[in-house]
Formats: sequence, C-alpha cells, structure tokens
Amino acid sequence: MSKASSHDSSQQSPSAKNATELIDRYLQAVRFWLPKTRRQDDLLAELGEDLRSQIEDKEGELGHPLENAEVAEILKRCGSPMMVAGRLGPQVHLIGPALFPIYVFVLKMVLFWILVPVFIFIVGPVNLANSGGHWPSAILNTFGDLWSGLFIAAGTVTLVFAIIERTSAHLGAECKWDPLKLPPVRKEERKPTFLKAVCELGFNVFGLVWLLLLPQHPWMILGPAAAVLKAGPMLHTFYIPFVLVSAFALVRSGVTLARPQWGWFPPLSQLAQSALVLIVFHSMIEAIGRTPSAYPFVVLQDAVANSPKYFQLAGIVNVSILASIVFGWLGVCIAAIAQTWQFIRYLRKRSSGMPRPASIGAQ
Amino acid sequence: MTNGTHGGPEILENLKMELRRGCLIVAVLAQLRTEQYGYTLRKALADDGLAIDEGTLYPLLRRLETQGLLVSQWREEDKRNKRFYRLSPAGEQILTQLLEEWQNINTSLNKILQEA
Repeated sequence: MSKASSHDSSQQSPSAKNATELIDRYLQAVRFWLPKTRRQDDLLAELGEDLRSQIEDKEGELGHPLENAEVAEILKRCGSPMMVAGRLGPQVHLIGPALFPIYVFVLKMVLFWILVPVFIFIVGPVNLANSGGHWPSAILNTFGDLWSGLFIAAGTVTLVFAIIERTSAHLGAECKWDPLKLPPVRKEERKPTFLKAVCELGFNVFGLVWLLLLPQHPWMILGPAAAVLKAGPMLHTFYIPFVLVSAFALVRSGVTLARPQWGWFPPLSQLAQSALVLIVFHSMIEAIGRTPSAYPFVVLQDAVANSPKYFQLAGIVNVSILASIVFGWLGVCIAAIAQTWQFIRYLRKRSSGMPRPASIGAQ
Repeated sequence: MTNGTHGGPEILENLKMELRRGCLIVAVLAQLRTEQYGYTLRKALADDGLAIDEGTLYPLLRRLETQGLLVSQWREEDKRNKRFYRLSPAGEQILTQLLEEWQNINTSLNKILQEA
C-alpha cells in the first residue's frame, strides 16, 4: 500500500489554491488532535481526498470554482477538527465498560462511606477539640481538608483503576467467578435501609465520642457557659449509665449492619435500648426528688461561686436540663410503644409465613 | 427532553443510530463487492438512503481492513491519489453469513410484528 502524495497545486487556479490551502489548514488542525500513530498520515490523506472530492462535486454542480465561504461550509459540515479527530482516531478510554461499575462502586465507597464519615466523625471533632474555642476556623479547616482529601482519593482510585485497565489484570477475575458463590438475594427495602443503618452507626460513633470527650471538654455541651458552670452531682452520677447506653446503641447498630439476616435483632434491640434509656431517665427523675440541692445538674465554677448573676444562669440551665429529661422520657415512652408494635407485627408476619421485612428495614 | 418517558426526538435519533450501526457494516461490505474509494462509497451509500459521515466511515473501513474483511490500495486516478477498497475473500464469506443472519432477523421481526 503506497502512501498518499501531497496534492499538486502548481497548476491550480487562484480559487482552487485557496480551497487547497483551506483544506490543508483544516487537516493540520485535525492532525494536532489526532494521536501520533503510524496511521495518522494515512487517515489525513484519505480525509483530504474525501474533502477534495466533495469540493469537486460541488463545483461540477454549481458550474464554477468554489469561493472560500463555500469551501468553509463543506468543512463546517464535516465537523470541527477536534471532533473529527476524535471520531477518526482510535477509541480510547481510561476505564473500560467492564471495570467501570466496580470503579464507581469503589469510588462511592471511598468518598462517601469512608472519607466523609472519617472527616465528620473523627477529623472534625478532633479539630474542634484542638481549636481552643475557634470553632469557625476549625470547621473551615475540616472542610478544606475534606475537599482536598476527596480530590486526592478520587484521583488515586481513578489512577489505580486506569492501571488495572491497562494491565488487563481484571480479565482473570472474569473467568474465576462462581455462580454458586453469589450472595443470597437481598430482601426488599434492603438498599434504603442499609443507608439508614450506616448513618445510624456513624451517628452512634459520633455520640459516644462526644460523650467520652465531655468530662475534659465541658464546653461541648455548655458552650461559652463552661467558663462559669461545671457538672453537678447528678451528671456525675449518671454519666456512666449514659456512656453504657451509648455504647449499647453503637454495638446494636454495628450488629444490625453486620448481620442483616437477623431479622429479629433490629426491632428487639431497639426496644431494649429504649427500655434502658427509660430506666436511666426514670432513675434521674426519681433522684431529683430526693436530692436536697437546687442545682442538681450544673453548679457554678469555684471562681464565680458567689456571683448572684451567675446563680440565675445556673438556675436556667438546670431547669432546661430537667425539662429536656422529662420531655425526653415522654418521647422515649412513645417510641417504645411504637417499637413494641413493630416487634409484634414482625412476630406475626414471621408466624404467618409472610415475607419478612428486611432485617435492617424492620426498624 | 432526554430522560423523560415520553421519548423525545433525541431518544429516537439515538435508537435510529443504534439500529443503523449494524446495518451500516453490512451495507459497506455489500457495496465493496465492487472496488471503490472512500468518497464514492459514501456517495453510493447516501444515494441508497444510508448517509454516513467521514468520521464514521473511515474508522469503520480501517477496522474492517484490520479484521481482514477488506483490502485497500492507494492508486492515482484523475491526477489524485485515492485509496480504493474492495471486499477480501474472507470478507465475501462473512458478508454471505451476515446476509443470512440479516434474513433471519428480518423474518423473525416480521413474525413478531404480525403476532403483535
């Protein structure tokens, strides 16, 4: 196969020369975007020949040499150089269709299920704890770091998959899969409730970390009032029960996520958790009646112990906490009734042989 | 509308393009039972109602040549170098099989349409 020779323009009319020049300029622009392969010249010669044939045909049809504008019209119809080069060149892709679904899955996992929760529940609270009271800058720093982290993680995942694609390492995996090892059919409502379980786990981690940090960082609950207030006897007494309830909630959400096939576990464990919370609240309310102190939850710091204006503040905070406990107790009572009903429904469905609700979705 | 359920013109265009894609290969192979160069092939296809742009035809011709279904040759005609294509013996065999398959699909489709 011989190579195409360049077009002879020595005996051309001025308009033909203009057309040739315009085509050469067009081909030069296409060449810029075409990958530098051995076929590049071949492709361009053939495209040039096609364009010249089109011009020749048009000239025959109109009966006169084409003006620049008419040649430009033909080139425009052919497409922009970048687009034409894209169509003429080899079809390249960073990650092919075989790997793309796995790539998207891993990318979502890394970005939204690992990186974002780590920043929200670990990096963010640590930054806040070390901010020395400069909350806005700590939050901004956390978001800035998260933003950079997202880009770096996405870039790294993409790079790894591009390497896998190039090395064809994934091709072996396609032959190794065994239909008998496929996971069991997911129960209905699995997808949305899985998200719920993950969120619940995240919030429970956050809640426990927050609770454990409270003794060293009382400002996390009292805010600026931590300068003049400190935990009272009631909070000291009930701190450990609250930590235990929080730890129970964390274990519960972890088991719910890890053992989705245990359909009975979510409704039962949630009911147990509500019962525990009710016991703690009830004990607190009872203890308040027995305590002689007017300030059971928070008291004034020693430095301001005799300041009348802070007494008023301590009083307001104590009443607010008491109100929260009472309303919390009522709320948990209502939730416990609903959870009992859900559990009874679950038991009924199970005994009647109806399809069970998804284990996570049964909550 | 691109994602609606009412099927906009864009969806129709995409479906038509998908439908044409396989047919174009058969049409190109069939057309190249007689030797032609790119532009005349494009014209012949367009005259028969199967217009195809340069960006689609030339990569397709390269691919079919790489697969051994076409042979090509640069040759001078009317003082210009042109690349002429024609069907290879392997291409002729494949074309025969593709035409049989096309007939089968056509028959099946007609049957389905009559049943509907």
